[in-house]
Amino acid sequence: MRKSLFRIRRELLPWPKPPGGPHFAACHLCDTLHEAEPLPEGQAARCRCCGAILYQNRPASLVRVTAFSSAALILMVVVNQFPFLTMDAAGVRTTLNLVSAARALITEGSPMLGIALALFTLVTPLALASGLLYVCAPLMVGKIAPGAIHVAKWLNRAEPWNMIEVFLLGVLVSLLKLEMLAEVHFGPGFWAFAVVMVCMAAAISGIDRDELWDRLEVAGR
Amino acid sequence: MSTRFPRANSQGLAGCHTCGKVSPVTLGRCPRCDTPLHLRKPDSVNRTMAFMFAALALYVPANFLPMMTMVELGYSTENTIVGGILYFWNSGAYPIALVILTASILIPLLKIVALTWLCLAASGKLHPSPKVLGRIYWLTELFGRWSMIDIFVVGILVALVQIGNYMTVTPGPGALAFGGVVVLTMFAAMSFDPRLLWDRFETLETDSSPFKKTNP
Repeated sequence: MRKSLFRIRRELLPWPKPPGGPHFAACHLCDTLHEAEPLPEGQAARCRCCGAILYQNRPASLVRVTAFSSAALILMVVVNQFPFLTMDAAGVRTTLNLVSAARALITEGSPMLGIALALFTLVTPLALASGLLYVCAPLMVGKIAPGAIHVAKWLNRAEPWNMIEVFLLGVLVSLLKLEMLAEVHFGPGFWAFAVVMVCMAAAISGIDRDELWDRLEVAGR
Repeated sequence: MSTRFPRANSQGLAGCHTCGKVSPVTLGRCPRCDTPLHLRKPDSVNRTMAFMFAALALYVPANFLPMMTMVELGYSTENTIVGGILYFWNSGAYPIALVILTASILIPLLKIVALTWLCLAASGKLHPSPKVLGRIYWLTELFGRWSMIDIFVVGILVALVQIGNYMTVTPGPGALAFGGVVVLTMFAAMSFDPRLLWDRFETLETDSSPFKKTNP
């Protein structure tokens, strides 16, 4: 089984180059022009002027992106269905769920904070994971999903606003602030969110921008 | 640096901001993803400076106005960023104090300093050494998001404590200002174009090349 999967990805899914050429790559830091040559899997091309990475051929890119982004999406359901934190203070137990926290902030007097929380920790990661899945899964069989070009454009723009890892560090800091006042425990939602963080990082770095766009261009013809 | 590498803009080629495809800038739009093509990000120094001045204006209230007010048994305390750091430092939680100090005070401040430096170098008021500055720009983009941590802390505390009704925590004006600082510095870093540093470096090199040629 493993062997046949391995063969499928080697033979059917190498990084295709659009017809025509030569293809060029310009360094995003120093604008040095390079001829974009195909790379073996797992290697990166670096700028000969400033050393920045020009593009890299990530191993099994489409398979990995599809796997990690669908895992992130499934775990997001867990994050939203299970308690994130439980707090015991003065004999009262409170459970906090990520969605209800954002909703409580929006309705109860600090809408900006609630919107920031929802946008950076729920909306952007969800949009990124589902967008990556929508663009990459059909590409595995050489098809382009309708509107995939627009989705891919927004993936680039949304990426810096995915702040799951920052949020998780924020959770730890706020727990330490509450340490003196209450007893706080992590719920399953928290652990699921920590795994979502890893999956998102793997999915986003799973495919190089140039590879994704080359594949879209070839599939769109 | 006697052998100079060919650069895309000298041949009228532009790398697309969105998809990376290199095409002649005369096309106007990227043939692959339809994003407008530019040799350099338009008005990048002006835009970066504008975002940064706005961030700087918010940086002062962000640090001096309370991030949140805690009311516990009728006794209310106002928490500023510095107060939070001192609280953790005095209670012996040094690593956390250092994390907050770095994320909330040092990163925004260093980011503003770094971007000012980059803008001055790109507009020719400082001597650019593109390799070092390129690295600084890269770090600025990488660490900028981490300043958001204090906003999340306020959000979590407010939500957690509002749901249980044993004390109240309300976000203060400092939180809004601080969120503004983080978002604005992120926009500032995004609108800066590091290729301008190399443009400046290249013109400096061509200016000084006649002197080099007189030497044997």
